[in-house]
Amino acid sequence: MAGIYLHVPFCVKKCAYCDFVSFPEQSRADAYFQALYKEIAMAAAECGGKKFDTVFFGGGTPSAVPLEFICAAVERISAEFDLEISEATIECNPGTVDMGKLAAYRKAGFNRISIGVQSFDDGLLRSIGRIHSARQAEETVKLARSVGFENINIDLMYGLPGQSEKEYIDSIERGGLLGVDHISAYSLILEEGTPLYDWVKEGRIVLPDDDAVYDMHRAGMARLESLGYKRYEISNYARPSCQCRHNINYWDVGEYIGLGLNSSSALRSKSGELIRFKNCESIDNYISEINCGRLPRENVESIGRENEMFEWIMLGLRKIEGVELGRFKARFGADVCEVYREAVNKLENMGWLTVDQRFMRLTDRGLDMQNSALMEFMQ
Amino acid sequence: MAYSRELIRNFCIIAHIDHGKSTLADRMMELTDTVAVRDMEEQMLDTMEIERERGITIKATAVRMFYTHTDGKKYMLNLIDTPGHVDFTYEVSRSLAACEGAVLVVDATQGIEAQTLANVYLALDNDLEIVPVINKIDLPSAQPEFVIKEIEDVIGLPAEEAPRISAKNGINIDQVLQQVVDNIPAPSGDPEAPLQALIFDSIYDNYKGALSYVRVKNGTVRPGMRIRYMATGREFDVTEVGVFTPGLLPTDSLTAGEVGYISASIKSVAETKVGDTITDADNPAKEALPGYKQANPMVFCGIYPADGADYENLRDALDKLKLNDASLSYEPETSMALGFGFRCGFLGLLHMEIIQERLEREFDLDLVTTSPSVIYKVKLTNGCETWLDNPSNMPSVAEIEYMEEPVVEAHIMTPSEYVGTIMELCQDKRGVFKDMTYIEEDRVNIKYELPLNEIIYDFFDQLKSRSRGYASFDYELKEYVKSDLVKLDFLLNGDICDALSTIVHRDKAYAKGRAVAEKLQEVIPRQQFEIPIQAAIGGKIIARETVRAVRKDVLAKCYGGDISRKKKLLEKQKEGKKRMRQIGTVSLPSDAFMSVLRIN
Repeated sequence: MAGIYLHVPFCVKKCAYCDFVSFPEQSRADAYFQALYKEIAMAAAECGGKKFDTVFFGGGTPSAVPLEFICAAVERISAEFDLEISEATIECNPGTVDMGKLAAYRKAGFNRISIGVQSFDDGLLRSIGRIHSARQAEETVKLARSVGFENINIDLMYGLPGQSEKEYIDSIERGGLLGVDHISAYSLILEEGTPLYDWVKEGRIVLPDDDAVYDMHRAGMARLESLGYKRYEISNYARPSCQCRHNINYWDVGEYIGLGLNSSSALRSKSGELIRFKNCESIDNYISEINCGRLPRENVESIGRENEMFEWIMLGLRKIEGVELGRFKARFGADVCEVYREAVNKLENMGWLTVDQRFMRLTDRGLDMQNSALMEFMQ
Repeated sequence: MAYSRELIRNFCIIAHIDHGKSTLADRMMELTDTVAVRDMEEQMLDTMEIERERGITIKATAVRMFYTHTDGKKYMLNLIDTPGHVDFTYEVSRSLAACEGAVLVVDATQGIEAQTLANVYLALDNDLEIVPVINKIDLPSAQPEFVIKEIEDVIGLPAEEAPRISAKNGINIDQVLQQVVDNIPAPSGDPEAPLQALIFDSIYDNYKGALSYVRVKNGTVRPGMRIRYMATGREFDVTEVGVFTPGLLPTDSLTAGEVGYISASIKSVAETKVGDTITDADNPAKEALPGYKQANPMVFCGIYPADGADYENLRDALDKLKLNDASLSYEPETSMALGFGFRCGFLGLLHMEIIQERLEREFDLDLVTTSPSVIYKVKLTNGCETWLDNPSNMPSVAEIEYMEEPVVEAHIMTPSEYVGTIMELCQDKRGVFKDMTYIEEDRVNIKYELPLNEIIYDFFDQLKSRSRGYASFDYELKEYVKSDLVKLDFLLNGDICDALSTIVHRDKAYAKGRAVAEKLQEVIPRQQFEIPIQAAIGGKIIARETVRAVRKDVLAKCYGGDISRKKKLLEKQKEGKKRMRQIGTVSLPSDAFMSVLRIN
C-alpha cells in the first residue's frame, strides 16, 4: 500500500519560523488548483495498478483556500487513483475554519484532522506569528469532534522564544483535557531564511538554551505518556491505534506520491528499485510545466541498495519500535545486524541501541542522540 | 658597450607603509617612459598578489630607467625597491648597500615613523646620500613645513630643498629625479678589477632557475664566465646577464656600477644568498664585500594540513615557496593532536603570516597552525646546551639547569599623548625601560628591551590600537637572557594536547592558562560526554573549565516525505565532524587552535 500527499502552498499569513513552501497571498490559488487537477490525472496514469491507502493534505494551510478547491481535489483523486482508504488527513489552522468547513471536510471523506495549535498561550502564539488564539484552537478541536472526526491530532511546539517548561506542560494538559487522539510535539528548529532566524541573529529574540529545551522535551514526554499518549516516534504520541499511518509509511520506506508544489515522492520501479523525486519549488514553473503537459519533477534520484539500507535505518530508528529485522531481511536478503555489525556493536556498548528477536531499536538515550547514532551507520 | 659610469645613479626609496613608496616608483617609471602608460598597473614593482593587497613589498626588485636631465644628458637610474618591514631588516640593509643614495619619502600628513627612521639609520650606516621628499602635499591635512622641520631635527638632514610632491597625482615627480641625479653620487668602482658583485636578492624563475639580483661593485660579468659565490664557495657558469625594465632584458655584460641579474643554471635560491659576493672564479677578488650574514629564523610554528590527506601537498607547497625564499625553513614534525606537519621557521611574524597566507591562497590548502614560539636556549643539568623551538620538546624540569630567551631592543615612536598607555603595554609585556627622547615637542622615541616571545602574538596590534594607529615600532635582536620559563600544557579530558602547549614566563602562566581554558570552553562544541579542560604547569593544574555533555542531538522536525533533505542534513553534520581533530576522545574544530592564539 502507498500514500498520497497533496500540498496546498497557501497561508493566511506566513509564520515566523516556517520554511515550507507557502505563500501568504492566495491570488494564484485558482490557477494552482487547475494545474493540480491536471497533475492528479497525469500522476495517476503513471501509478496505474498501485493501490493507495492513505491521503494527506498538508501545507501551507489546506484550510486557508476555498472549500471547493479541496473538495474538487478529493474528487479527482478518488476518480483517478486506485484507493482503498484507511486514513485521510487534512491539516488546518484554527484561524481558518468554522463548523461548516469542518463538516464539509468530514463529508468529503477526511477521517483525520491535524490542527496546528502549537501552543495554548496567546503570548507565545503572537510571538511566533500565528494568526489564531488559544481559544480558537480549543474551539476548533471541539468542533472537529462534533462534526465526526474520530482521529484528531494537534501539533505542539517547545523551545519557543520565552517559553517555559510549565507553559509547555500546560499546553499538553489542555490537549489532554480536550481529548485529542494524537499529539505531535516538535521542538522549534531555527531555519535560515525565516524571520525568526533573523530576529535571533540580530539578538531581538532569545530562544531557550539547549539545556532548557532538553528539559522541556523530557518533561513533556513524561507528561504525555502519563496522559495516555504513547510515544511511537521521536516527535509523535498517540492513543492506542491512533498512530498516523501516512507518516508511518514514510518511516517504513514505503511508496508515496507527492502532488502539488515542492512535494516529494518515493516510488518503486518495476524492478523494485526505489526512486525519489520532488516537484519544483517555483509556482510559476509548476503551473506552466503542467499546462505544457509535463510533470514538474526535479532531483529524480535512484536510491541504490546501500543507500536504501541506510534510509531504512535512518527512518526506521525514528520509530520507537525500531527497524523490524524480518522486513529488512525480506527486502535486502541480509541481516541488518550483519550489514552494520560495527555500528550495532558500538551503539549497543554505548547503551544507545538494543536488538531483540524482532526489532532493532534505539534506547531512550539513543533516541535523544539519534543523529549521532546515525553517524555510526554512515560510511 | 658599458654605460658611462658618471651617468649612472643607483638608489632606493625609503618610506613607511602607506607613505607612497610604490606609487612614487610607478610615477618615476611613467615619467621616464620605462613602462608605457597603458601597461601601467598600480604598485608595478610589487608583483605578488599579497604585496599589492597589503600595500607592502616583500621581495626586492629593481628597475632601470633613463632620464634626460635639464643639463641635456641622459642618465641611467637604477631603482632598487626594498622591503620595508622590520622582519626583513637584513634584506633591506643589503639593498641599501647596493646603492649610493636613497630617496626618503615622508608623508606630509604623518611625519617620520619608527621604521622609516630605522631604515634611514641603516642608509646612513651604508654612507648613502639621502634625498628627502615630502609626499601627499595635495591632502588638506598636509603640513610640509612641519615635516621638513622634523626631518631636520630628527635626522639632521637639510630638507628645505626637498621636493614637495604628490605621487598619487603626479605633482613634482620631475624634481625628485633631478635631485637624484644632482645629489646622489655616481657609482665608483673599477671595471677592470676582479669581479665583486653584491647579491641584494634572488628569485626563482621557472625557466632560468635561481637568479641573483646584483649590484656590480668592481669588474665585469658576462655570459660564459665561471663565477664563484664567495660565502658558499659554489661555482657556476654564467648563462645570461641582464637588466630590469622591469621585466628581465638580457645584455652583453654588467659592469662596475650597474645593477642587474645573473643567471647561471642555479637550482635553488639557497645557493645564491642575499649579501653574498659573486666573483670571477678564474680571477677572484681578494675578499668578499662586507656585511654578509646568514639570515636566521626568529619565530617558529607548526603548520599542519587541516585534512591529513593534504600532507604531501603541503610539502610540495613549502618546497615551492622555499625556491624563492631562502629564509623560510621547515622540517617535518609529528603532533599527537595534529598528525603529520612541519615545524617552520620565519624571520618574524609578518613573514610567518605571509607564508601562511600564501600557502592557503596560492596552494589552496586548509591549515592548522600552532602558537608561534621563539627559539630558547636550554642549559641542561648535564652541562649540555640545546636550542628549543617547539614547546612539546621541552625537557623535564629536573633536566633543566636554566633557560634563556631572546630579548630585542625595540624602538617605539609615538605622539607623546600615548606614552603612558604604551609604557603600560611594554611593562605588561615584561619590558625593561631603557630610554626616552623627545624628537620634537609632541613626538617621542621610546626604547625598551622586550622578550621576543612577548611581542610575537599581538604586541603590534595592541600598540596600534592603544595609539589609534599613530605609534610605530621597530626591533632588533639584542641578546639571550636567563628567564624563569615554564611549559604551559592543556589537557582535554585528561590527555595533554601537544599542539596547544606553549612556553611562557612563570608570572604569566596563571593568567594565560585561565584565559586559554576559557576560550577552549567556548570553541569546543559540546560532545557526547562532559569534557574537562585543564591548564597545567608540570603536574600542577592551574585552571579548569568544563564543556558540558550534549544531551540531545536529533532532528525533531518532520520534513514530510522529504527524505533527501533529512539525509543532506545528516551528511552535513557528518562532514563537520570529519573536519574536527580527534584529540584522544575529544573532537576539536581546526579553528580552535587559531582562536587560542588570539588571546591577550
